[in-house]
Amino acid sequence: MHRTEDVLATLSMIRQYKLDVRTVTMGIDLQPCAAPDLSTLCARIRERLVHYSGRLRAVCREVEGRYGIPIVNRRIAVSPIGWVAAGQRTEGLLAIARTLDAVAAEVGVDLVGGFSALVQKGWTEAGRRLIAALPEVLSTTERVCASVNVGTTAAGINMDAILALGHVLKETAERTRDHDGFGCAKLVIFANAPSDNPFMAGAFHGPGEPDCVINIGVSGPGVVKAAVEDLVTHSPTGPTLGEIAEEIKSTAFRVTRVGELIGREVAARLGVSFGIVDLSLAPTPQVGDSVGEILQAMGVVRIGAPGSTAALALLNDAVRKGDLVQSWVTKTGASDLF
Amino acid sequence: MPKYIISVTAADRVGIVYSVTGALLDLGGNILELSQTVMRGYFTIILEVEFPVTHSARQLADTILDRGKRFDLQVLVTEVRNEILEPAVPSGERFILTVLGDDAPGIIHGIAGCLAAHGVNIVDLHARLDAARFALVMEAMIPQDLTPETIRSELERFGRDHKIEAYVQHENIFLATTEPGPVRVGPAVRTQGDALASH
Repeated sequence: MHRTEDVLATLSMIRQYKLDVRTVTMGIDLQPCAAPDLSTLCARIRERLVHYSGRLRAVCREVEGRYGIPIVNRRIAVSPIGWVAAGQRTEGLLAIARTLDAVAAEVGVDLVGGFSALVQKGWTEAGRRLIAALPEVLSTTERVCASVNVGTTAAGINMDAILALGHVLKETAERTRDHDGFGCAKLVIFANAPSDNPFMAGAFHGPGEPDCVINIGVSGPGVVKAAVEDLVTHSPTGPTLGEIAEEIKSTAFRVTRVGELIGREVAARLGVSFGIVDLSLAPTPQVGDSVGEILQAMGVVRIGAPGSTAALALLNDAVRKGDLVQSWVTKTGASDLF
Repeated sequence: MPKYIISVTAADRVGIVYSVTGALLDLGGNILELSQTVMRGYFTIILEVEFPVTHSARQLADTILDRGKRFDLQVLVTEVRNEILEPAVPSGERFILTVLGDDAPGIIHGIAGCLAAHGVNIVDLHARLDAARFALVMEAMIPQDLTPETIRSELERFGRDHKIEAYVQHENIFLATTEPGPVRVGPAVRTQGDALASH
């Protein structure tokens, strides 16, 4: 018999504190699709995406129903199109972007990432063409996300690419001015991009990954804040920093395990590999789902007051230590504080 | 060997388990399974016990009562007959059903009725009242041919009329969040998860 307190504690994470699976992202290797002929290339991309992701929507709904936890977004990350479409001219790159956009709509994912190029040490003709095509791609497709890696610690920074991307951003903003320049929100310009990244808008399916993989992002701010508040409320003399860190670790463990369970189950039902869990502290517009409020629950009077940086360091460290699976723990929420 | 289900209830006192198990031991009994709880000051224990020889239910009850006469026990003895277990209750996957809301007479009865109508077998149930707030946690076997959504929508319909919230979740989510062991997905899932052919 499960302890009633354990059941109610897990249920309250979902019910009251907004724990959800923010995204199930399927990574798909598109390099086998490469072909010199554009129509063949687009047809292969479409077939391969549908082959792997055709059941993603249905399976996510099944798993959502089985565990009673919302899966908010479904997404796809593909191999950097700069590699897959090397040799294609602008019209070819646009056709590929439209193919990605159409398949994303067909299989029910809200974003498809990987219209990407890695140009940190210098750029190929393919990379240059892809960057040049970005304003058109980002302003005429709905779901395609793009990224460009322009620098690494080892290779330095490609300043020519940064100049080109400055123009790309301005042109994209201009072309999407009727939508608050939203085209730019679908473009990530990286330095030190990881070899594989399942997180939008800069998602791409990198080398060393299997043909197809399921990655998970889970949301945590509301749950972590509630746990800290509960600890503070029930501690007559106020908790020590060590006790706060332990509470956050324990909460991070439970949140990450929910993500792992959902990821393993979706992957098993689809017959593909399971990759990683990302425990994100990124806020959502919902009240109570804010990383800043976690710091305030820890005792920081307001964000920016003395102790803010220490509290944030404690939070990030404890979340990483509580995350026991092969996960990434991003600090995306923290960036909103600065 | 003959087996019996024995339940004993009394006002809670120190020494009842010692007394009951002593009586069973005197008759050569071996306890196969035991569950005990104390509710509002009343002790209840239920045991499955096997004996090397057959005893009448009366004889077993009298031995327990005699040994524990200072506790004013109430004893019920039922012989286990395998044939009455057929047809077996439907199997399925274990889900946790949680019901929260204002207390009112008939909630458990109504929920049990929804479940029975769909062939859902309740295998464990705990309910309590904190102030006027009712909380029920139930383990139930949902048959393979029934989706959790079906049960969830039934309970939600019942809940709307009685101001309660009902949740239906596979038990693995509670195992994942409360146990340090590896995350498990059920056997029913693994059979569906044959590797997708490479494309």
